[in-house]
Amino acid sequence: MASLISCPHCGVRPKEEFSIRGDATPVRPAPMASDEAWNDYVHVRANPRGRIREHWQHVAGCRRWLVVERDNFTHEVFSVTDAAAARGGAR
Amino acid sequence: MAYDYQAVHVLDGTIGAVPGQRANHLAVHRATAIAVVLAAPGHGAEAAGILVADGAFEARFCGPGEWLVLSEVHAPETLVAELAIRLGAFAFVVDQSHGRVALTLSGPDAARILANGIAVDLHPEAFAVGRAATMLCNHLSVNLARTGIDRFDLVVMRSFAEALVADLKVMARSHDLSVDFATR
Amino acid sequence: MTAYRLASGGLIDRSNTIGFTFDGANLSGHAGDTLASALLANDRLLVGRSFKYHRPRGIVTAGSAEPNALVTIGTGARRDPNTKATVAELYDGLAATSQNRWPSLAFDIGAVNDRLSRFLSAGFYYKTFMWPAAFWEKVYEPLIRRAAGLGRTDLPRDPDGYEKSWAHCDLLVVGSGPAGLAAALVAARSGLRVILVEQDFALGGALLSETTKLDGEAPYIFSRHAIDELHGHPGVTLLPRTTVFGWYDDNVFGAVERVQKHSATIDAARPVERLWRIVAKHAILATGAEERPLVFGGNDRPGVMMASAASTYANRFGVAAGRSVAIFTNGSSGYRTAADLSARGVEIAALIDSRTDASDRAPDGVRVVRGGGIVDTKGRQRVRAVIADRGGFEEMIACDAVAMSGGWSPVIHLACQRGGRPVWSQALQAFLAPEVGDGLVMAGAAAGHYRLSECLDDGARKASAIVEALGRPVAGFERPVVGEEVDPSFTALWHVPGARSKAFVDFQNDVHGKDLGLALREGFGHVEHAKRYTTSGMATDQGKLGNVNAIGILAAMRGVSPAEVGTTTFRPFYTPVSFGALAGSSRDEHAMPVRRSPLHGWAARHGAVFIDAGLWYRSSWFPKAGEKTWRESVDREVRTVREHAGLCDVSTLGKIEVFGPDAAEFLNRLYCNPVLKLPVGKARYGLMLREDGMVYDDGTVSRLGETHFLVTTTTAMAAGVLSHMEFAAQALWPELRVRFLSVSDQWAQMSIAGPKARTILQAVVEDDLSNAAFPFLAAREVRLKGSLKARLFRISFSGELAYELAVPAGYGEAVADALMRAGEPQGLCAYGVEALNVLRIEKGHVTHAELDGRVTPDDAGLGRMMGTSKPDFIGKRLSTRFGLTAADRAQLVGLKALEADKDMRAGAHLLKDGAKPSTVNDQGWVSSVCFSPTLGTHIALAFLKSGRERYGEKIIVWDRLRGVETVAEVCDPVFVDPENRRLMA
Ligand SMILES: [Zn+2]
Repeated sequence: MASLISCPHCGVRPKEEFSIRGDATPVRPAPMASDEAWNDYVHVRANPRGRIREHWQHVAGCRRWLVVERDNFTHEVFSVTDAAAARGGAR
Repeated sequence: MAYDYQAVHVLDGTIGAVPGQRANHLAVHRATAIAVVLAAPGHGAEAAGILVADGAFEARFCGPGEWLVLSEVHAPETLVAELAIRLGAFAFVVDQSHGRVALTLSGPDAARILANGIAVDLHPEAFAVGRAATMLCNHLSVNLARTGIDRFDLVVMRSFAEALVADLKVMARSHDLSVDFATR
Repeated sequence: MTAYRLASGGLIDRSNTIGFTFDGANLSGHAGDTLASALLANDRLLVGRSFKYHRPRGIVTAGSAEPNALVTIGTGARRDPNTKATVAELYDGLAATSQNRWPSLAFDIGAVNDRLSRFLSAGFYYKTFMWPAAFWEKVYEPLIRRAAGLGRTDLPRDPDGYEKSWAHCDLLVVGSGPAGLAAALVAARSGLRVILVEQDFALGGALLSETTKLDGEAPYIFSRHAIDELHGHPGVTLLPRTTVFGWYDDNVFGAVERVQKHSATIDAARPVERLWRIVAKHAILATGAEERPLVFGGNDRPGVMMASAASTYANRFGVAAGRSVAIFTNGSSGYRTAADLSARGVEIAALIDSRTDASDRAPDGVRVVRGGGIVDTKGRQRVRAVIADRGGFEEMIACDAVAMSGGWSPVIHLACQRGGRPVWSQALQAFLAPEVGDGLVMAGAAAGHYRLSECLDDGARKASAIVEALGRPVAGFERPVVGEEVDPSFTALWHVPGARSKAFVDFQNDVHGKDLGLALREGFGHVEHAKRYTTSGMATDQGKLGNVNAIGILAAMRGVSPAEVGTTTFRPFYTPVSFGALAGSSRDEHAMPVRRSPLHGWAARHGAVFIDAGLWYRSSWFPKAGEKTWRESVDREVRTVREHAGLCDVSTLGKIEVFGPDAAEFLNRLYCNPVLKLPVGKARYGLMLREDGMVYDDGTVSRLGETHFLVTTTTAMAAGVLSHMEFAAQALWPELRVRFLSVSDQWAQMSIAGPKARTILQAVVEDDLSNAAFPFLAAREVRLKGSLKARLFRISFSGELAYELAVPAGYGEAVADALMRAGEPQGLCAYGVEALNVLRIEKGHVTHAELDGRVTPDDAGLGRMMGTSKPDFIGKRLSTRFGLTAADRAQLVGLKALEADKDMRAGAHLLKDGAKPSTVNDQGWVSSVCFSPTLGTHIALAFLKSGRERYGEKIIVWDRLRGVETVAEVCDPVFVDPENRRLMA
């Protein structure tokens, strides 16, 4: 776990300012997608070692949801981006 | 029956004033008008531009497209109305004069005192005068603005103001700190 | 007398005499002493008993690796057990006591363990205390806990304060010896922000005990000049008495500063310890090197110490370890100690060198035994002689102290705390730090550069490289002229053959050479296994002295190099850190901030009893004179609301304002019920699901404008719902044009409920509140008489005619007071959350007692709310799966106790009449209970299998915890006014 996370909006902050939701890779399926797709999205998570993408919220700062790409073995953080920007949304 | 409601400050009776003007001083503002400006989706740049261009108000960064605007001279509803006129459709303006409490910590040890609860590097080169951001102070989220080399404003949720003042007193335990309501 | 204070010399202030006590004896020392040097000056060699065998133990080192001289300092609530006497700064009034002995240090009953030691071999605990298993808790564990362990802690509340601080720097230098000072000087002169940390109370490190001249003067003079200069640089922070205990991700270091651990009187305005979290762009570890003990028979007898410690005590503290000191060495360092002691007039009994071909020169007149070794020591509680062996010939050499030098190990712990493994250096016969990137580099002796000139050069060089990396011009550093210096080379000697008594490897955990042999024979030869099997390196000193020897011994026995054996894993903390320091100021109300409602003062004035609800304090009930129990108050409050009216503080509900052209669409996807067609000026009950179809939270949605909503959440879920909404808006549907803000703290909100609510409210509200003008579920801004603006919502949790009035928080108390005055003729009372709970149970309204994460809207009787025709909302898709629509799901029902004297408790299970309690027979559970003053009986809300088909059935409410069974009748969960006549009135 990193000690410090560099929020793209607020700068370098201690990990205590963030809360972690989990895997950021699953994409919410369309409403009528298959049972399997929905079951995967809601219930099934891989637990890989190495490079992962997670949703972190900067709860004590800008309150933005971020995508943190990091290595859960070496603890290296590769990138921190805004979750909305990652989805190409407006802000 | 007379209906002339008097507002009370959340720290009335609980501020635990430490009298005097010591080397470092924590002033609690009684009647600061506070508004939150939320940029309309897709109009963050326009809203920011208007806030920056207009010297009448000092906007403090909270997050993308979100600012705190403080005024010592406006009544809450005037501040909201003035901002709404200037920002038009580019932003939503929400009165938070009763939802937040503004404090000013000043003195030569101000940054050192804050380092007892805040992880952000407050060296003047790292957090310059004019900068503001929301950050964790011990267990509480506060908006911190540097208004001078030795002067910081803290804005906190009203229900946490008592806890923040109590925390700041402990954070300043090794430093000479007086605490009281600001006099205008 | 053996150990004594030299007539002159040392960096102590002989004009300043300090009184202290050890085990009650009044002793004295000088300012600048450690407790250990003062004890030695008083010839107190025996300072503790060992962990397992209770052997007498003396001072071994002059620093933080000390395994033996652990004492308890202070008394009462300020007792600090397991404090190293070798680093404890002496102060006036210091009270120290020895540990692990009973009844006294000199006569310790536990020492019988030493005689029984053949039964106390390594793995003893694992083998002996195996069975019977039942003995563990009652017999073995208490026995072991009493017999083992070192210092004891006390339970009184710690009276002192602690502090946690963040610090930021370009360069953190750990260690203020020659390498650290040179590095700090270069960095400071180059304009960097520098933090220099030193665990000793005096800055200077090895320069304080070094005798090699710098610029022709004692080296501590150089260190003083350097420190003076560093003080003058504004960007430099000097932290003596501070130990860096951990290196964490992103170059964050943990350090603990002993602010007031060197004083008998504590200034309450300051912390006693300060925990630093230091964020460093770069760090230089100039932590020096640790001298290794030699593993020979009887090497733990008081009087045996490290050769460098003997030098330090003589040079820095002006204390001779003995009058006649035998030196045992495998390298040049023993000769340096011989020179240091001789120069101060201490007799050298003999210098025993394990090497045969050494070229080192001993001081004139000192007898040197080359190719020899010590195989045993003599004496009871202090050493009287050593048995030296050379080529099979034994000789007894009288002495009153032994100085041993087994070579050097760079102090690399911090560099290995993030997974990097130490690297064996064949040339240096020691483990070096791994390459860990440019954030942290080793310098000086910690990097294996032992000579003084090398240390100075290396520190300056490493700092220069960092200055360059930061893109700044490098300031100059002119190294002082170094006098005649010693190259402390040595020939590794892991254990001395022919030991005639126990040869200890780990002094603190009483692990000796044979234990390691046993571990290997029994299949625990892997270094991590051997550690746990023998407990070598598992004591509070973490094997700082003994580990390398243990590895060397294992390597020799396995016939491999120490590189192949490797080391055990290094982890924080380098030295023990108190819980007080780790907690910092987070104690009592500072550990969990208190949140007070804007109506707190009003509630307190009406005599409220408060209850914690998360961080909030909520008014629970309002006792009146003559009411003896909380039930009396609550029953009265409930009856008053049902018959007249009540006022309740509901400010703690979460309130979120939602804006934007897509606000309605966003909320329509967030709630399971439809929101799009909610008219402006109206409120609606709303239910949020999780994506798995279970209810997440409930509240109200009010439309204040076409694109402006206000939603409320439960008190408990206020923070969670806000995050949930932010996730939905930012990560799920960033294309929706919506913004929102928590406005929870802006508003004081009060519920006015009861048949008289309208009359009372109309007295203070300007707007027309008639049923036609302000009908059920109306929600809009109103103006109070006297022109204050407020928000009014006609919503009801109690089932009565009710309103929620919100005013800016600061006006809350004044408006509540006005309402109480206006309501007085109508019988209005204040009511708390207990009465609120009874009212809502009577009305069959759910809270998180019901919505516990396992409940669907249909389970809660709210299935009709689901907007099944909506294209999408969170939880829609998985709501339709079979398990969530099964007919035998537990459904919300009401229960009426049929036995007047018996109540029910939440958590009780439901059984069919006559059924035995079992998982198979389980029919459901009770979620909320109360005594209903309206019905005059105990009632409950419960979840019962197919419950809605079973109204009228008798059921057993089985309370295993209290052993109570109550017969109840299943009924509709709405006990009061099922036709909603009251709330529509
Ligand atoms: Zn942020």
